[in-house]
Order: sequence, then structure tokens, then C-alpha cells
Amino acid sequence: MTPTPLRVLGTFLSVGAQSFGGGATTQFLLHDALVTRRGWITNDEFARAFALCRIAPGINLFALAVLLGRRMAGPAGAAGALVGLLLPSALITVGLTALYAQVQDFVLAKAILRGVVPATIGLGLVTAYQVTAPLLKQSRDEGRAPLWVGVGLVAAGATVVAAGSRLPIVFVLIGGGVIGALAGWLGRKQG
Amino acid sequence: MIDPLLYFYLMLKASLFSTGGMGNLPAVRDDLVLRRGWASDEQIAASLSVGQITPGPNGLWVVSLGFLVDGLRGALVTTLAISLPPLLILLVERLFHRLGGDDHPAVRGFVRGLGLAGGGAFAVTLIRLLVGHGLDAASVFFTAASIALVLSRRVPPVAILLLAALAGALLLR
Repeated sequence: MTPTPLRVLGTFLSVGAQSFGGGATTQFLLHDALVTRRGWITNDEFARAFALCRIAPGINLFALAVLLGRRMAGPAGAAGALVGLLLPSALITVGLTALYAQVQDFVLAKAILRGVVPATIGLGLVTAYQVTAPLLKQSRDEGRAPLWVGVGLVAAGATVVAAGSRLPIVFVLIGGGVIGALAGWLGRKQG
Repeated sequence: MIDPLLYFYLMLKASLFSTGGMGNLPAVRDDLVLRRGWASDEQIAASLSVGQITPGPNGLWVVSLGFLVDGLRGALVTTLAISLPPLLILLVERLFHRLGGDDHPAVRGFVRGLGLAGGGAFAVTLIRLLVGHGLDAASVFFTAASIALVLSRRVPPVAILLLAALAGALLLR
């Protein structure tokens, strides 16, 4: 069965509606649907696209949808994939938020949030570690100086936010990128 | 009074200059809570939680926040704003390959530097949210417990949040 824009839309709608549990579930379901069950994308193509999407602006999985959608069915496929992944989940999100807004003042809802909010923050901290640690490891593998630069960049990002600086976060990120690029370029010159 | 065009711009900007579902958190909090007072830390924390529970990438937390801040209009504006930056992957792919991709140290370094600075900013923003929510024995325990459970790889994230909800309902009223 060849991937047409409509079939791509249908597949991504299905994944979008089912993937409770965040990005990991979505990624798994996408791989299962596109690689395992339909064979529209090879495992290698999926892995390479996913790696590139780590540096895509915004939500990585939407970027993945765009890349894979285009590969399967051109620009219409890219649009269908993005809309399919976004629409049901956005609608359910709004619905659940509306429900929360109705009950948020209830004692029970407040008690639930007193448990859920810190748990969410805990999950977020693990995510922060999982996306940052491999980068530090790459730096460490290149040598002591690159490792110190890496640690310094993490500390710089943390300090700017901790200090309540008026500097927009964007500049912190781009600044980090520029310093990283310089370090990489200087490292090659020396090596 | 929330200007929807400005809100769209802020959400677009936060998404454009970050990566990952929660990469925009520092910028969103910065722009909405600290600079304009359009949202509260409590709303951000709640929408992060909703984003974890609902289907799809947890990056949809900003859609939840949009609804809390400005109703359906906020949710719609945010949905549009976050759907645009991922389209740039097509340009990124072309540029990445033209610059030599992973083989070019400066390109590799830029991506890594962005990720490292962003990681530090992200972690501290989360801690500030926790402080804003209320730093007490219960919140520290729940944070630590969820970290331990997710690192154990035995309990899926959705189950951790359900457990936290149940524990909160039973123990923290």
C-alpha cells in the first residue's frame, strides 16, 4: 500500500489520538505504524530523521512528522502528517484543560495537583538530565578542555535563569551555540 | 488585557528559538509570568501536568496554558504558533547537509552548545516552578519519588502521574 497524503493523514491522526504518555509513546507508535506495520519508512531513515529533529526548532516530533510526511508523500504528506499529529491531541488537551479549569478550586483538585505538579517537575528534571548528559559525555570524549566548556555552558544557562536576569533566554541559547561552535572550530585547529 | 497578536508572537518566538517539548519553558515563563504577568507559575505548572497526561508530545502543554490564559482564543493562537517552527526542519535539513553535517566541528559544536546552555536554563526553570508551587516536605518528596520511579524504568510516566494524583488526593487534603 503506497503512502498517499490522505493515508498519511489518517495514520498520523490515529497515532495522535492514541499516544498518551508523552513523546516516548508518540515516537514508539509512529515507528510501529510507519516502519513495522506499513513499511513506508525504513528503520534507518526513521533513526536519521529523528536524530536531525533533535535540533529542529519547536516540538521535535512535529518536525519528525514533517520530514517523514514529505518523504512519504511530498509537501501534502508533510502537511497531512503535521495536522494529523497535532489536531486530536490539541483538542483533547484543550478539553482536559477546560475540565481542570472547572474543578481547580475544589479541595480535591488542589490536593491532586499538590501531588501531580512536583511529580511533573521531577519528570522534567529527568528529561533535562537525559537531553543534557549525552552532550556532556560527547564533550568529555573530546578532552578535558571541551568538558570544562560544556560544564561552563550548562552553568551559564542555569545562572542566567537563577539570577533572574532581564536577558532573554533566546540570547543565552544562541550565545551557548556560538561558544560551542567556536570551541569546536578551535578544537579542530589544535587537533 | 491580552493582545492575541503579541501572544502569538511570544509563543512563536519561544518555540522558534528552542527545541523539544519543554525547551520553550524558560522563554514562556520569562515573557508571560515575569515580564507581563499574563500567567502565573501555578498555571504554568498545571499546564505542564496536563501536557504530560494528554496524548501527543508533551510540548502541547503550551496549548493548555493558552487556554488557561486566554480561553479558546489563546489555545487556537498557541496551536498555530507551535505548528510553524517545526516546518523549518526542511530548511535545517538542507543547511545541515550543505555545511557538512555532523562532520563539521563548528556545526556540531553549535548544536551541542545550544543544548548545554538550554539544559542548564531548563533545569533551573523547573526548580523555580517548584519553589513557586511551594517548597515543603511533601513537594520535595513527590519530586524525588517521581525521579526515582522514572529512573527505575519500571513505571511508565503516565502511571507515575496517576500515582501522584492518587497520593495527593488521599494524603494532602
